[in-house]
This record gives sequence, C-alpha cells and structure tokens, in this order.
Amino acid sequence: MQMPKADETTIARRAQIADALRQLVPSDCVIDSESSMKAYDSDGLSAYRQMPLVVVLPETTEQVAKVMKWCRDEGVKIVPRGAGTSLSGGALPLADGVLLGLGKFNKILDIDYENRAVVTQPGVTNLGITHAVEDEGFYYAPDPSSQIACSIGGNIAENSGGVHCLKYGLTTNNVLGVEIVTIDGEVLRIGGKHLDSGHLDILGLMTGSEGLLGVVTEVTVRILKKPATQRAMLVGFDSAQEAGQAVSNVIAAGIIPAGMEMMDAPAINAAEDFVNAGYPRDAAALLIVELDGPEVEVDFLVECVGDIVKSSGATSLRMSQSEEERNQFWAGRKSAFPAVGRISPDYLCMDGTIPRKALPEMLTRMASMSQKYGLRVANVFHAGDGNLHPLILFDANVEGELALAEEFGNDILRNCVELGGVLTGEHGVGVEKRDLMDEMFTQEDLKQQQRVKCAFDPQHLLNPGKVFPVLHRCAELGRMHVHKGDEPHPDLPRF
Amino acid sequence: MTIIAPQNFADLTDAMMKIVADNTPVTIAAGGTKQGLGKPVKTDNHLDVSALAGVMDYEPEELIITTHAATPLVEIEALLAKHNQMLAFEPPHLDRLYGTANTGTIGGALMANLSGPRRLSQGAARDFLLGFEGVSGRGTAFRSGSKVVKNVTGYDLSKLLCGSFGTLAVIDEMTLKTLPAPETSLSLIVANPDLEQAAAAARAALKTAYEPSATAILPQGAHQMSQSAALAVIRFEGVAVSVNDRFEKTQKELAPFGHTDKLEMAASETLWRDIADVALLPEGRQIWRISLAPSQGPILLQDIAQQMDVDAYFDWAGGLLWLSSDRHDAHQIIRQALAHNGGGHATLMRGSDELREAVDVFEPLAKPLAALNKRIQDAFDPHGLLNPGRL
Repeated sequence: MQMPKADETTIARRAQIADALRQLVPSDCVIDSESSMKAYDSDGLSAYRQMPLVVVLPETTEQVAKVMKWCRDEGVKIVPRGAGTSLSGGALPLADGVLLGLGKFNKILDIDYENRAVVTQPGVTNLGITHAVEDEGFYYAPDPSSQIACSIGGNIAENSGGVHCLKYGLTTNNVLGVEIVTIDGEVLRIGGKHLDSGHLDILGLMTGSEGLLGVVTEVTVRILKKPATQRAMLVGFDSAQEAGQAVSNVIAAGIIPAGMEMMDAPAINAAEDFVNAGYPRDAAALLIVELDGPEVEVDFLVECVGDIVKSSGATSLRMSQSEEERNQFWAGRKSAFPAVGRISPDYLCMDGTIPRKALPEMLTRMASMSQKYGLRVANVFHAGDGNLHPLILFDANVEGELALAEEFGNDILRNCVELGGVLTGEHGVGVEKRDLMDEMFTQEDLKQQQRVKCAFDPQHLLNPGKVFPVLHRCAELGRMHVHKGDEPHPDLPRF
Repeated sequence: MTIIAPQNFADLTDAMMKIVADNTPVTIAAGGTKQGLGKPVKTDNHLDVSALAGVMDYEPEELIITTHAATPLVEIEALLAKHNQMLAFEPPHLDRLYGTANTGTIGGALMANLSGPRRLSQGAARDFLLGFEGVSGRGTAFRSGSKVVKNVTGYDLSKLLCGSFGTLAVIDEMTLKTLPAPETSLSLIVANPDLEQAAAAARAALKTAYEPSATAILPQGAHQMSQSAALAVIRFEGVAVSVNDRFEKTQKELAPFGHTDKLEMAASETLWRDIADVALLPEGRQIWRISLAPSQGPILLQDIAQQMDVDAYFDWAGGLLWLSSDRHDAHQIIRQALAHNGGGHATLMRGSDELREAVDVFEPLAKPLAALNKRIQDAFDPHGLLNPGRL
C-alpha cells in the first residue's frame, strides 16, 4: 500500500504551519511535538502508521472553518479524525497533512424527546448518545462494535453499521441533519429535526464519504424508544450451508430479526475458550438470532423462528430465558475478535458483503484459499444481510506473513465481488480496500465519483489517498469525452 | 418537438451521446405523471424512456428487486405483494393529485424521493435504492452501489439520485431493498376538539415502545371522520397477535388525550391510502407539502391559518403538513411562517405552470448550499441538458 508522495516543501514548512495554526485556534489546540503526536499516528487499522505533519484540535465550528480555509489557501492537506477507530485506515495521517481532530467537540447540544431527535457535537461517542437518553427509555439504534469509543462524527464519515442494522438500518438511515465545514471554510447546514429536505441529498452523500468531502461539526440523529423486550436464540448446525439456508428461511417467512449472526467452528471455539458463553463446540456453524419488540410479538416470533430453524436442520437450540442469559449468548460473539486475538499473534479483520445465497460457495472458496495461503481463518458474519467478517490469523513477526495475510484478504474481497457482492459492508474503503476499487467499479464509475469529490474539494486536499486508487486531476475529469471508452492517462499518480 | 425513444440501455447510451454531442437539452419522462411537480421544463426535445421497463430480477429471500426504471409502480407493488413483500417507504399514488391516467413508474417515484406515511418508521424512498446504472449528462454510462442490502463501497450516489428529478443522470437499472409486508393492520383514533391535544397524542404514541408504523393528525373538518373533533390516527402493522396487543396498550396509554376508537383493517387501509395520496384536500387549489419538526406542525398551521384560508392535515406525527390554498401569495405566507417556526422545507406540490414558474417550487437554499448543489449537478451534467431548470 502506497500513499501519495508527500510534498517535501510542505514538510519543510512544518514549524511555520504550526505557528500559523496557533493564530487560528488557541495555542494549546495545536500539537506538534513528536511525543504528543504519537497518539495520532494510526487508527483502528494499526498495521499502518504515519506521523502527521501537525495535529490541530479546534474547539468551535468557526475555528474549524478558519483552519480549513487557511489550509486551502496554503495548499496544505487535511486528514479529519473522530475517535480514530476506523478499521479501514480512514483517519491514517499523512506526512504532509494536518490532522484535524474533532475530539473537543464532545457536547450534546439538545435532547428533544418530543421530536425524537438529539443534536450533538461530532466527537460525542455513539454510546454517549444512548447514555444521554436512556433514562427516558430511548436509544440511538446503530451499534457498531466500537460504540463505546467511536464518535458519531466518525460514524457519519463511515456510515457505520452494527449487529442491529438488519432491522434498524445503518447510520445513513438514522441521521436527520448535519452541519459541515467545506474545504473553502464555508459552514453548511443540511437537514435538521425534519425529514427529507429536498434538493440534492447532500446529507445522504456525506454519510459514508470517509472524510473526503467535508468536516462534520454538528449532527442531528433520530432516537427511538427502546424495544419493550429482547430475546436471543442460540442455534447450532452441522454445516454452514444449513445455517445459511435457515437464515434465508426466516426472512422468507417474513421475519426480520433485530440481529442474525453466524460464527463458524474456529470462531465458536475461540469464543468459547475465551468467555465460556455456552456455545455448542461440536457445531460447524452457530446462529445467534435476536428478536426485539413488544413482548407478545417477541414471544410469538421466537416460536416461529424456533420452528423454522428446527425444520432447517438445527442440531441444537436454546432460547434465552432471562436478560442475563441473553447477554451471555452475545458475550461470545461480542468477544470474537479478542478471542481470536488470543489464539493468534495478529489477525486481519475483513469486511465484504455477498448475496446471502452465495454463502456456502464463499465458505468453500475461503477454505481452499486458507489452504493456498497456509493461514487459518475464523469467520463471523452478520448473516442476515450477508456481511462477512473473516478474521485472517497471522504472525506479523514472521517475515512476509502480513503481506501474505493481506493478499489472502484481497482474494476474499475479490471473490465477494465475483459472487455479486461488495468490498465493504460497513468498515469503509479507506486505504485498506482502496486499490481493490476497480475490482468492483469501472474507470468511468470511479471518475463519476471523483467528479462529485471535485464539486467539494477541487484540489484534493481533504483526506487524499483514501478511497480512490487513482487521483484524477479535477480539470482532467471535467473534460468531456469525445470518444467512447477510456483514454489512458499514464501521467496520473497511481498509488 | 422531437421525441427520442431509446428501446434499451445501449440505445439510451447512444441517444445520450448524441444529445451531448448536439448540446440538446431534453425533458426526460416515462409515464410523465409527475410533470406537474417541480419547475416546468421547456425543451424542444423529449427523451421518452418508457421502453426501459420490466423487472429484471426479484429475489424475495435476499430482500432485493432489480428492475428497469420505467416499470410501472403498481406492477412492482403487485409483484411484491404476491410474495408478501412491499416497498416499505409506501410510495404515494399521485394520479388523483395530478389527474393522470396512472400512478407512474418506479423510477419516477425514486427520482422524486416520494415517501408515504410509513416514512416515519421505515425510511424514505432514498433509503431503499441500493444501486443503479444510468447515463450521465456527459453521455457516459456508469454504475453506483450494488445489489446487496449492506454496502459502503464508494460514495452513496443512490442517495443523490433520489430526489434529483432527473437532473443528474438518466437511470435504467435500479436495485431496491424490499421488506416483508405486514400480515395485518389497524388504526387507533384519538379524538379531541383541540388540535394540539390530538397532535400531542400522535407524538406520545411515538414515545411508547408499541411501534406504530404511521401517525397522522386530521384537524377538525379535514375528513368526514373528523367533523366534530381533531383526530390522531395511529396505525399498527405486523402479526395479528402483536397488532392487537399494541393497539390495546396504546389505547390505554393515550386515553387521557381524548376519546379513542378503533379502525379495522379495511377502513384503516382506505384512510391511509387517502392520507398518502393527498386525497383529503380539495381539488383545483394549489397544494403545499411542508416538512418540519413534528412538534412545530400545529403551531405552524395555526400561524398560517390566521393569515389565509386553508385546508390542511398532517402526516408523520405532525412533521409533514399538507396544505391547500388559492392565494397567489401563499408561498410568501407559508415560507415566512415556516421560518418563524423553526424552519423546514416547503414544496409546491401542485400549482399551475404559471405559478410554478413564478415562485420557488422547492425551499430556497442558502447561497453557499445552492452553489454546492449546482457544482454537484455540473459534476454529472455540465451542460445542463437533463431536465434543465426542473429543480
């Protein structure tokens, strides 16, 4: 993985840039000492590290606007950062870029139960929103696994999901409004406590744009009343095929559970060794199905799902009888990553989506890839929506094994696309999947996306090197095609 | 007037390349049922995409349907219903509103981002478009999104296309997320002579865990059922055992707000169809659709009603105000009142060509945001060839 060539002139101006930024924000909001910047050299994709040019932590929207405009005028790149939990390297710093942290935007501004909306600064954590409203029985639905740490601003950048997004949607389906600062230093307000603003849906475009279009400085989200009851079921199967079919059968019966998670044998055993959740060790695949809603409905649907999984070949079935037991069912799934971390020095977490019907084929392919690369893989899936999280086990201290694991991961994602799926279901493209983008999109598809980028940031100053494998100059993209097909541009930087 | 009528996607691409080469602005339509919505478009050339019709792939178990954009909306709805599924955003059928022969196409519904009562609980049209293939105003074919329900690869251009009224690209193939249709439904009615009390009942229903799928508010006189009091209408959908249980519990909880009653499935469905389709407002007058914070709805209506004679009702728990007027300056009164009451978005949904030419059909944007909208449009259609001026 290669990042755009750092601009030596900018790097040489480092001290001057830090001084200039101190004129725009309180001086303690600018960090340029090596030791203090170390905390920002990586995000959740810790295989990649890079010291930023300088870190700036503004306190107000106005300060963000000043920093953005100054950087634009000076041609200095900016990498926005929320809590730094991205799993795809979305907040990976650039050697010649200012790291713009939103950590000081940590206040909830307005809780409005009457309109079921919370207005918050972007640095507030995902779970922080729920904590602020849970006394009244409300919550914020999207629940990425990092929700204790990840920020709502970062959730917007990545369009974060979670185990319950099968029923409640991704971030994009739960956000009502944003305030953004553009690279020009303009402050734009889009949406609010009302729905569907009309004009072009810039709110929808911003969500999942991975920090390439603007910096989010305020967010309005929809909150929901907590479901009256939640029950989970643990279902064992002799094969992943049967488990996959059971998932399809549940949905075909018209039931959308709150969550439907699958684990394969290596994941089941790693989790069981770690937290002793009571998972069936002899099962080849385990389903966790959670139903939530009014009590009468949940009781009814638990029976329905029970019948369906039994007739789909379930070898074991347990239904949670208490909240404690439900949490125990989830404990194994939720600790799957650290559990795998115990049985392997390192692991890579992949994130592709496939049509659910392709699951058996994908698992067969994954087994043969595992043999080919000589690396073990444990699988956890958001089975309801076909989102896979294969965990590739490797040892970074063994020469070449990281590269091998990455190639294995790329192979998995290529297969996802080949089977009709996508490169990323919820973690984002970032730097991790950037160079695979043309597996899924044609050059023209990618150019059209970059033309949208040019409408916001014609100089490619915001988070360059993420998402797009080739940085086309905006002037180049603006030209009309005279001939059919793509003209090669050998002069373009490819990284 | 020249009509260009591509028969398939290859034709469409060729036609678009020619349109671009000749620099010919076009009006794009399939059924043409929404020509009364948006600014009037005046071009000598029409791009008739009605041949780009037909369902390509429907996999109920994957919760997706892939279709050509000009497939009639009712055809999609009927197909899904056969498999006990639905378009969860409950697209309104606006044939009665616009006096058209049919309800138009799935593409038209998406490009106008039209969502009905279930918007409140399940999301808007834009939440259900997973991916598409189309031809931009540069004459180049491109794809975005995918055919799976969970995807964050690249910018979500599907969102941009929804509500773009054909000003960015001409769409052919589109993949939508489907959901299981509810087994049954019914509605709870709460009657109170005080509009604010009825509205408070509708909002209170959303603060329970009983999951209403839709809540409307009918001011006194807005409907034959609301002759003597304002009504909150609260719909429950799902499996029968749950629907009945939620109805009863909500009824108990909302009793302090007024007299309660039950509307059984058939009557409930008819009423909600009328609410979705804007059939409660009188014919002939201009119609406005105002999206705002739900608690502000009744306050805004009161403010407007003091200044002019209106017919009105609310969907989305008060967050969507449908309003009719015959005043030529209605737009000023509405937008000023909206600005004074927390802001939102007022759209002229029906009005004569002259009126739509004279006033802002969509809520005017702040300058920097308008400029950004224009730059995004230019990124797709730099010469302004697609439905020029519609937005």
